[in-house]
Amino acid sequence: MERQSRIMSEKDEYQFQHQGAVELLVFNFLLILTILTIWLFKNHRFRFLHETGGAMVYGLIMGLILRYATAPTDIESGTVYDCVKLTFSPSTLLVNITDQVYEYKYKREISQHNISPHQGNAILEKMTFDPEIFFNVLLPPIIFHAGYSLKKRHFFQNLGSILTYAFLGTAISCIVIGLIMYGFVKAMIHAGQLKNGDFHFTDCLFFGSLMSATDPVTVLAIFHELHVDLDLYTLLFGESVLNDAVAIVLTYSISIYSPKENPNAFDAAAFFQSVGNFLGIFAGSFAMGSAYAIITALLTKFTKLCEFPMLETGLFFLLSWSAFLSAEAAGLTGIVAVLFCGVTQAHYTYNNLSSDSKIRTKQLFEFMNFLAENVIFCYMGLALFTFQNHIFNAFFILGAFLAIFVARACNIYPLSFLLNLGRKQKIPWNFQHMMMFSGLRGAIAFALAIRNTESQPKQMMFTTTLLLVFFTVWVFGGGTTPMLTWLQIRVGVDLDEKHMGIVGLDKNTTKAESARLFRMWYGFDHKYLKPILTHSGPPLTTTLPEWCGPISRLLTSPQAYPNQEQLKDDDVECIVNQDELAIHYQEQASSPCSPPARLGLDQKASPQTPGKENIYEGDLGLGGYELKLEQTSGQSQLN
Amino acid sequence: MESGDAARPGSGRATGAPPPRLLLLPLLPLLLGRGLRVAAAASASSSGAAAEDSSAMEELATEKEAEESHRQDSVSLLTFILLLTLTILTIWLFKHRRVRFLHETGLAMIYGLIVGVILRYGTPATSGRDKSLSCTQEDRAFSTLLVNVSGKFFEYTLKGEISPGKINSVEQNDMLRKVTFDPEVFFNILLPPIIFHAGYSLKKRHFFRNLGSILAYAFLGTAVSCFIIGNLMYGVVKLMKIMGQLSDKFYYTDCLFFGAIISATDPVTVLAIFNELHADVDLYALLFGESVLNDAVAIVLSSSIVAYQPAGLNTHAFDAAAFFKSVGIFLGIFSGSFTMGAVTGVNANVTKFTKLHCFPLLETALFFLMSWSTFLLAEACGFTGVVAVLFCGITQAHYTYNNLSVESRSRTKQLFEVLHFLAENFIFSYMGLALFTFQKHVFSPIFIIGAFVAIFLGRAAHIYPLSFFLNLGRRHKIGWNFQHMMMFSGLRGAMAFALAIRDTASYARQMMFTTTLLIVFFTVWIIGGGTTPMLSWLNIRVGVEEPSEEDQNEHHWQYFRVGVDPDQDPPPNNDSFQVLQGDGPDSARGNRTKQESAWIFRLWYSFDHNYLKPILTHSGPPLTTTLPAWCGLLARCLTSPQVYDNQEPLREEDSDFILTEGDLTLTYGDSTVTANGSSSSHTASTSLEGSRRTKSSSEEVLERDLGMGDQKVSSRGTRLVFPLEDNA
Repeated sequence: MERQSRIMSEKDEYQFQHQGAVELLVFNFLLILTILTIWLFKNHRFRFLHETGGAMVYGLIMGLILRYATAPTDIESGTVYDCVKLTFSPSTLLVNITDQVYEYKYKREISQHNISPHQGNAILEKMTFDPEIFFNVLLPPIIFHAGYSLKKRHFFQNLGSILTYAFLGTAISCIVIGLIMYGFVKAMIHAGQLKNGDFHFTDCLFFGSLMSATDPVTVLAIFHELHVDLDLYTLLFGESVLNDAVAIVLTYSISIYSPKENPNAFDAAAFFQSVGNFLGIFAGSFAMGSAYAIITALLTKFTKLCEFPMLETGLFFLLSWSAFLSAEAAGLTGIVAVLFCGVTQAHYTYNNLSSDSKIRTKQLFEFMNFLAENVIFCYMGLALFTFQNHIFNAFFILGAFLAIFVARACNIYPLSFLLNLGRKQKIPWNFQHMMMFSGLRGAIAFALAIRNTESQPKQMMFTTTLLLVFFTVWVFGGGTTPMLTWLQIRVGVDLDEKHMGIVGLDKNTTKAESARLFRMWYGFDHKYLKPILTHSGPPLTTTLPEWCGPISRLLTSPQAYPNQEQLKDDDVECIVNQDELAIHYQEQASSPCSPPARLGLDQKASPQTPGKENIYEGDLGLGGYELKLEQTSGQSQLN
Repeated sequence: MESGDAARPGSGRATGAPPPRLLLLPLLPLLLGRGLRVAAAASASSSGAAAEDSSAMEELATEKEAEESHRQDSVSLLTFILLLTLTILTIWLFKHRRVRFLHETGLAMIYGLIVGVILRYGTPATSGRDKSLSCTQEDRAFSTLLVNVSGKFFEYTLKGEISPGKINSVEQNDMLRKVTFDPEVFFNILLPPIIFHAGYSLKKRHFFRNLGSILAYAFLGTAVSCFIIGNLMYGVVKLMKIMGQLSDKFYYTDCLFFGAIISATDPVTVLAIFNELHADVDLYALLFGESVLNDAVAIVLSSSIVAYQPAGLNTHAFDAAAFFKSVGIFLGIFSGSFTMGAVTGVNANVTKFTKLHCFPLLETALFFLMSWSTFLLAEACGFTGVVAVLFCGITQAHYTYNNLSVESRSRTKQLFEVLHFLAENFIFSYMGLALFTFQKHVFSPIFIIGAFVAIFLGRAAHIYPLSFFLNLGRRHKIGWNFQHMMMFSGLRGAMAFALAIRDTASYARQMMFTTTLLIVFFTVWIIGGGTTPMLSWLNIRVGVEEPSEEDQNEHHWQYFRVGVDPDQDPPPNNDSFQVLQGDGPDSARGNRTKQESAWIFRLWYSFDHNYLKPILTHSGPPLTTTLPAWCGLLARCLTSPQVYDNQEPLREEDSDFILTEGDLTLTYGDSTVTANGSSSSHTASTSLEGSRRTKSSSEEVLERDLGMGDQKVSSRGTRLVFPLEDNA
């Protein structure tokens, strides 16, 4: 008897291991289908459905099948054990069942009302991942890739606006959504649809913060394909990337906000604690990410690791991953750390890598990003049917739809107005409309919502988030192309040579927006950071004061000296004239052997350029543009 | 595994010491960690559970504990990553200085050892916080437990069973427990990329030439070595029993199991050195092929030995039924995994019919997913995923690889290279760590010494007799120095370790694990470090560019050029014969080497070339010509348009070539690429250009290590001559 039961439970284990394989197989199968469909769409140039949308559709179908086509299996009923003597829940339980001791590991707390649905379909239960997987496995590559590909010329040009949209805009949108939702919740309580006391104001704010993470991956893919105006592209991309980081930290600090007594009352101390938390975590993660990137840059600079691209790639990957892990271990937010790690890696380390490794790292992260993104969207489709604690509340959903539109409007229009006061090159109305339109919600909002689905409000939020993501990805994503033509936004920018020339001349005016602060940063970056961390820039021996001569000699790579001549004289003026020259320099620097910048044509023809361009401006086809820019810089020097 | 344990009532199952460290590969929870959610009835009536030994603490403690454990998981993972980073930097230093006595894997082990020592002796032992519940009503364990603690429900998942004697050992150093991974991680996450990569890079010309010998070494050899080691160890165990050093049971099946796990050779160190020094290609192919297939055989062998459970209670007695059942299981699992791998590998021919190669990213992703599906499918069907992945890799390399775009080729190659590299070094550094952090080592000097003797004898009994028999059949003998070298390079590595750590519940298994660990250390450090001296001592040629090798290859190229040259009028049949005969002596030499591929292989080659290649890739003769007339429709829809271009030149010469040369498949594999590259160009020079381009890319993978650059040039030269002669 005893032995039989033991064999039984071993069989159980054996079976669920195989079941695990089956679940993963389902996802693999979905992804394969998605890939084939994407190919079909790309081949026929269908633009109304992005791959992520396709992944969601397949996920939905599979969820539907699993939900209604599989018989609810009869699961063995266990018992709830009432532990009289146990007053807390230990992390490990040893259960003595007729002299066999079994070890149980703590998984989570289950609130009372969730217990009964557990008797449902076992397969559905199995198809539900642990939500932490999103944060620990799937999101990091996506976010890192975003950071790694952020390195575009126009990003730094529009840095001020992007930061404003990302920080201020997210805060505004969070508060607006929170307030509107609070109004709706109040109304629902009046209408009797909700018990009083269930839904606090902090819950509304929480919803607001997780809904503020925009993810216009669909829109960007279309922009990319159609070569839409670069400034618009950069604004949207930069905003959405930084946005995510802000939203994650914001969500975390709101969930920490716990006033002493009355959860509805405003508690200044708790509030400031939350704000402090926000700042602390953000700064900490930023520092952690950058620190690891700097370590990588130094390692790749001072070892000749570029002889072995595989080792280099491995090192790059491992150090970026340790940025995530260290941040998590230190109690910070790993994802934010990984984002800034990616940005810094792209800015410094990338220049030190061998050309083979450049391609390898780019392809590796592109690949991981692609898989992770499609898994998440697939899972979203699946979750609509397989998640068992959905709470559909029409009122709340309607309110949420309304709220996100209003909040997006409050985010974009006033901020653009303020920014336009400072910018020489205004953000025109059609850009603003487009930005307003492309407030899609995606992976981050979903991951934040699914992280905690214990209480009823959280479950309601999760359901609403899911529906919002579906709606925005399908409707907005599909409507991007018509919207672009309707708003008369220029398409196919790079083909227009003449326009490029104008932009080149406009350069100075556009740049005025980057204020003195940024100019200072560029100067510092170019004079000290670049030479320390990469092979480029002027040698430190010239930029550092006399008294730290030995250090500077130690830190300057031998390759920097040959560039010295050409760089030294035009540096000073250029930095003053043109603040975005830093970028220009680094391009120049990565091909140190090629003659000075003035030989625009030759440089373009030089073999390094295509490889470099691939990442710098992979999508924009900026060959001609770069040429013009170099001429401009020459002119500015002549002046 | 499970059933094996069930048969042995005395021994508990998992020991509880290695708790699943899920964070590392949080995919793991999907695969295994997730408990079967036995739902609990809400009826809180039964009060069967009585708690004992409970202390009053905050309820919040658990939440905090969970967070804390996540943090600790991060730290322990970070440890490994830092180890790997260190290893990479040191490897670079070694490679830079051309230090060859220590391979990267050996290095990873050393770093692992150091960190293990630090963790073991540098961290204070913390007390575990396990509570014991006595449950009187239940007669079996559920995999999920809902516990009602003063109105709150907590969910617990089953982690494993602990034999009563070990309860105390669970409450040991927490940090050591943290850095101990669930052994299934190795099988489900770390080994598959390594094995797939091995299979994927197996596509070397010399592999197919030596296929017969390799198969003989891998199958027969592993079986021989398993039995010899098993028997020797049984003798040692008997001896120990007499001397009273054995404190628990040790059956004959255990000995055989040890023989099986220790038969998996992994000469990664030796191969890396061969690669670097350009040692003889035949030797390289023999060793590499043997070690790759070896792993597959050892895995299946060990799992079928575990499945061997005689009906009676006496596990000593020989039970024919059980024995044949085990053999059946071996064959079943092996062929099942093989088919699974091959079929899914073949399934990747979607790459042929879709024009996916415009989007390398999609192609790469598809490739990756397909290969992973193979693993999962095999696991789901109860076969061995690792074996399936191996054959999937081989099939992918053979067929799918030809359909991929150039960019995808390098992408897939690089992707799996990086995965392989990381996984391998991870395993080796974990091995170093495990020597100190694993808490239940059983060091038994006699057993260890016996094992050392046994593996050398087993290796000797495996290599020398088999080589003797093979030499009877081979024209191109395996020289004595080769045999010594093969004997010498019987390193043990990741696979033996993973098999040994999979089950460390019983006393016998723990002893095996300790011994395996020590054997791995010893072989990797000593034998790996001694490879270079050994090579020179055995007078094995280094730096392959010998004339004989050259000539031979040149002639392969020659044939293949004649065979596929698409840009000229195809030389008439007898002409090509003339050419062949003109090369009489050389081609005879070529034939001699190839003779070993017997009739059955030749049959397979022609089948492969006539049917499989055309169906699955863009190469080979069009199916419309090779298939019988009645399936013309099918043939037409399976033949890719590119093939028709090649049709003319191929059709006429195929038959002779297939007959004359067994290993032409390989050259065809290459020729496909060329045919594609040059089918559009019609002047000799441009096609030359095209063929050079495509060839060099395909060569990169095929013969990346052989340094065949100049040989290529010469073959091109010969090729140019032919058309001229024809036209004249």
